[in-house]
Amino acid sequence: MEQLIEQLKAQIIEALSFEDMTPADIDTDAPLFGEGLGLDSIDALELIMLLDREYGIKLADPKAGKAIFASVRTMAEYISTHRTK
Amino acid sequence: MRIAITGIGMVSAIGMNSAETLQSLLNEQSGIGSMRVLGSVHRELPVGEVPLTDAELKAKAGIDAHEPVPRTSLLGILAAREALAMANTTCDAFISGTTVGGMDLTEQHWAEYEQGQASENIRLHEAGESTNVIARHLAPFTFHLSPFTFTATPSTACSSALNAIMLGANLLRTGQAKAALVGGAESLSKFHLNGFNTLMILDHAPCRPFDADRNGLNLGEGAGFLVLEPEEEALQRGAPVLAYIGGYANTCDAFHQTASSESGEGAYLAMSKALEMAGLQPADIDYINAHGTATPNNDLSESAALLRLFGDKLPAVSSTKAFTGHTTSASGGLEAAICVLAMQHAFVPANLHWHHSAEGLITPVTHTQKRTLTHVLCNAFGFGGNESSLVLSAHGIDLSESPLAPLPEPRLNDQIVNEQMVNAAEARRMTPQTRRLVAAVRQLMVSTGVTHPDAIICATQWGCMLQSMRFLQDMLASDEQQLKPTPFIQSTHNTIASLIAILTGNHGYNATYSQGKQSLECALKDVQTQMSLGLIRSALVLEFDEQVDAWDKVLSLIGDSTQDIATARMYRINE
Repeated sequence: MEQLIEQLKAQIIEALSFEDMTPADIDTDAPLFGEGLGLDSIDALELIMLLDREYGIKLADPKAGKAIFASVRTMAEYISTHRTK
Repeated sequence: MRIAITGIGMVSAIGMNSAETLQSLLNEQSGIGSMRVLGSVHRELPVGEVPLTDAELKAKAGIDAHEPVPRTSLLGILAAREALAMANTTCDAFISGTTVGGMDLTEQHWAEYEQGQASENIRLHEAGESTNVIARHLAPFTFHLSPFTFTATPSTACSSALNAIMLGANLLRTGQAKAALVGGAESLSKFHLNGFNTLMILDHAPCRPFDADRNGLNLGEGAGFLVLEPEEEALQRGAPVLAYIGGYANTCDAFHQTASSESGEGAYLAMSKALEMAGLQPADIDYINAHGTATPNNDLSESAALLRLFGDKLPAVSSTKAFTGHTTSASGGLEAAICVLAMQHAFVPANLHWHHSAEGLITPVTHTQKRTLTHVLCNAFGFGGNESSLVLSAHGIDLSESPLAPLPEPRLNDQIVNEQMVNAAEARRMTPQTRRLVAAVRQLMVSTGVTHPDAIICATQWGCMLQSMRFLQDMLASDEQQLKPTPFIQSTHNTIASLIAILTGNHGYNATYSQGKQSLECALKDVQTQMSLGLIRSALVLEFDEQVDAWDKVLSLIGDSTQDIATARMYRINE
């Protein structure tokens, strides 16, 4: 799980163009939206695409992302049980 | 001056002309179905396609099969010819909105460009050039010279055509045009079908505007044009007047690049100001042709704005997008033309596929209703929160006139741009050139003290080319799979003017023109015209283009290139 979390942080930084950030700057349990990284609805779409591209997980309903993207940890947990690649 | 509409022309999935469109509307016959012409892999997505191939459209328009013509222009030529023939007059101004322009040709021929094959199609990528092609095919003889003295292409995404109508009306009111052909044209493209798909707002079933269970929009294509002329001219030559321009307004929601605010602030302001110009009260409106795309966000936001303005006295409302699909940049022209048809034939078009109401949503008219329509409101909202509303009236409404006043001297951002004026968080999604322009605008706002100009107008030849090329190349390389939404969101020409409005909380007039090397001229014409009419007192004019290697490689085949341009000018009428 820890390895997946580190990998995921790097992928989030890349996908969302956080140029000056490193994985160490992201708190695994901090909220991704609102506070924390302060992501918005465009980022949510980018994260849905990231799940599809990197882990073969297809979310048909953008609203489903809300619980999954609560924090890096919730995202990693979801990936570990639903990944198809 | 009373502005008369003496001709309308339209092409869409429900008809190749006004008569066919009228029949489809009265018969409640939707044009949305399976993809037949657009060569996308996403066959699962229903579309409102004009059921003719490019070759068939050329044959119908009498255009040589070998002449390169973007599909946007083909649709535009047919609709514009109908409007001109109906009005039985000539126009000196032609204003046609589009965003797709010749993107269809670019995506079809990209592989050839990459192999170094020069082609006439390359030049046609430009939005303004697709308008010029329409203009050349409207010449009364076969000289292929544009019959117009002024041509402009507003490119504000899905509100483009309504903004074209507004500029046309303003040109008449300042005596700069005798008659104006105004509206918009847009074909389907793989580019924007995939783009909307990345936003997860395309319904896999026929769209259901304002329904509780609506699940997104269907893209459509088409064109719609009006011929505008002073009532006096129309009466003098005995031309029948179909309807009048009552009032109009464009505002910016200043909230988000693709989503509308919950309260529908921009939409509310646009509708209120359009009514104000027309001297009407909300209770005077008999029918509203809503933007009504059927996305969860638009319909809720538009409903909030409608309920705020009309309260419990909401007139008949319908979205005709369940007939035509969302024809994006053409929608304002097509739907204004549909409103004129509805007024002429005394009916309210149906909002097809509506079944369930929900808290916060308006309830539309679900079947065709026979009704005399005196005043009608037509909405078109675009990316970047670009919100436009038009009032059409059965009887003449006096709009103020003014001679053209000289443009005040601008203040330029002549200092070296301090890029520190854009912080890292803000800059995250900006291209380097966007960042420079935003910094330049901030400096100019400080040096002039004008932080909330009445208008923000951008001139751009190629638009936001860096993100457009990213999305296009990813789309072609991946066979339309797993695309990133951000490049698409930032690919529309009006990204820059919208971004400035969002960053500065500016709800004022917001426009973008893409007319080749004349783009700035068009933007300044808009400023001067609106200042002369007293509609605005200050305007921020932006010039934007970016040097992009991928597109430069293509342009080099025809001896052209892109360049970095980021300038800001402030125009202000002194007290």
